[in-house]
Amino acid sequence: MRSSWGQGRDPEPYLYLAPMLALLAVFTYWPLVHTAYLSVVRWNMAPGAAMPFVGLTNFASVTSGSLFAAASYNTVIYLAASIPLKVLLPIPIAVFVWSLGGRGAAYRTILFLPTLISFVVVSVVVLWLLNPMGGHVPALLAMAGVAMGNPLADAERAIWLVIGLSSWKVLGFHVLIYVAGLSAIPRDLVEAMRIDGAGDWRILRSLIWPLLGPTTLFVLISTILFTLQQCFTPIDILTQGGPSNGTTNLFYMVYQLAMRSFDIGGGAAGTVMLFALLLLLVAAKFALLDSRVAYER
Amino acid sequence: MSEAAFRPSPGWRFAGHAVLVALCLSVVVPMAIVLGTSFKVPNEVYRLQPWPDAPTMENYARLFGERAFGTYVWNSVATTALRVVGELVIALLAAYAFARWSFRGRDALFVLVLAAMMVPPQLTMIPLYLLMAELDWFDTWTALIVPHLAMPYAAFLLRQHFLSIPRELYEAARMDGAGSWTTLWHVAVPNIGPAIAAIAIVLAMDSWNEYFWPMLMSTEPSSRTVQIGLREFVEEEFGNYGGLMAGAVLASLPMLLLFFLFQRRIVDTFVSSGVKG
Repeated sequence: MRSSWGQGRDPEPYLYLAPMLALLAVFTYWPLVHTAYLSVVRWNMAPGAAMPFVGLTNFASVTSGSLFAAASYNTVIYLAASIPLKVLLPIPIAVFVWSLGGRGAAYRTILFLPTLISFVVVSVVVLWLLNPMGGHVPALLAMAGVAMGNPLADAERAIWLVIGLSSWKVLGFHVLIYVAGLSAIPRDLVEAMRIDGAGDWRILRSLIWPLLGPTTLFVLISTILFTLQQCFTPIDILTQGGPSNGTTNLFYMVYQLAMRSFDIGGGAAGTVMLFALLLLLVAAKFALLDSRVAYER
Repeated sequence: MSEAAFRPSPGWRFAGHAVLVALCLSVVVPMAIVLGTSFKVPNEVYRLQPWPDAPTMENYARLFGERAFGTYVWNSVATTALRVVGELVIALLAAYAFARWSFRGRDALFVLVLAAMMVPPQLTMIPLYLLMAELDWFDTWTALIVPHLAMPYAAFLLRQHFLSIPRELYEAARMDGAGSWTTLWHVAVPNIGPAIAAIAIVLAMDSWNEYFWPMLMSTEPSSRTVQIGLREFVEEEFGNYGGLMAGAVLASLPMLLLFFLFQRRIVDTFVSSGVKG
């Protein structure tokens, strides 16, 4: 829709845009540039100290550490596990909820509740529910003869707890997104297939699944882009990246380097690498999205 | 949405209900346990029965008495309110610019604004932290509000809404001699009231539930938000699970209340992001 004020010389739009642009420049874009700068100098944080250019030293020291290795490995696990749990699992649930129509309202409301509470609350509640000394979950499992131990203290299992929590938290939200996508499917198409004698499975496979494609892609990309940062809170509250770097990921690692080890150069180098990774993912997103959309046409 | 087009066979329907009930229980049961535990005296906390036999308000009283949760809640309320108002105003201005004018660089600037959405807070953390130190903004509301005032996503949504207002309305205002500023606040904004309300609620939730930045910015108890206060409580009163659950309830209640009041709008706003994209 074209606007009524279309003279290119008018300063007005720029004035309206100025606050947003200024804020983004100062709080989003300048920091990226400054981080890149900090990644190639050595700085001991003393005010006014010299900041000699050290090239790629910071990058080398970060990538050679065990923290980086663990964080990278875990990042792959976080991402790989997130796909079935956060992208695929909500789909059959959404299909069912959608098939209930208005009667599914209660389900939709309850499933959405975890989206409303902060991850701080979720983590803190988990500290209680899973507490080996009296939390409900170990107590109930013990009654069934299963010894749960303390997953938070287990270097191998802790990450799965975090993944499980973040999947639980985002499930309702993703289900609702899929339900919205499903609601856009024209009834006549489904009814036509029914009249032709198609069974549930056939309708799902040939009609619903392809039409859900764009929504699925959207959820997939959002999940990949945001899963790592979403997990920051539970990691910080429950395990602080441990035990033995068992739950840290590349996002949390940057925080650990900068704020825990006070390795500003290392943190900055990690940030630059992470940003490059993000750009790659975003580029992949646009490539995929465009080719997919073209196919749909 | 009343009756949907797709109706699976009875076998699948049973399985579907079973799974959904299980999922709902995974949400509701912990919430019940949290609520119940928050009213328990320390002796009862470790009992499996979710509700207390001798309920007490002691845990809540303690939060406001011994711990400064009153201050924490006030910090959260104030920073959220101020921040949402600021975010809305700035987003409205930007959305208006993108929707109502075509100007040089408009598309490029639009991409620039949207691209900022993709930058996670951890990536800007280091320089911003240093900046906050230099400006001496630690432990201030300013630190919690100002860096967040630019909300590209809100601008994006508001622009959509501005674009959907019939041109006639804008034309009529122009005929009457109204300038762009008047038209914005007296024609455009009143027309998308419900959308603004919905976006405001989502922004409020983001602010209320935030952890990362408030955690970095708070070095003393008096500046904590309720989320940070809750997190610190874990260490400050280690083992006081009754109190911890009371804190959890306190930290969640406002948003839950807001949701039940404005249910429809919130879900639609959250979800429309998925379908349009």
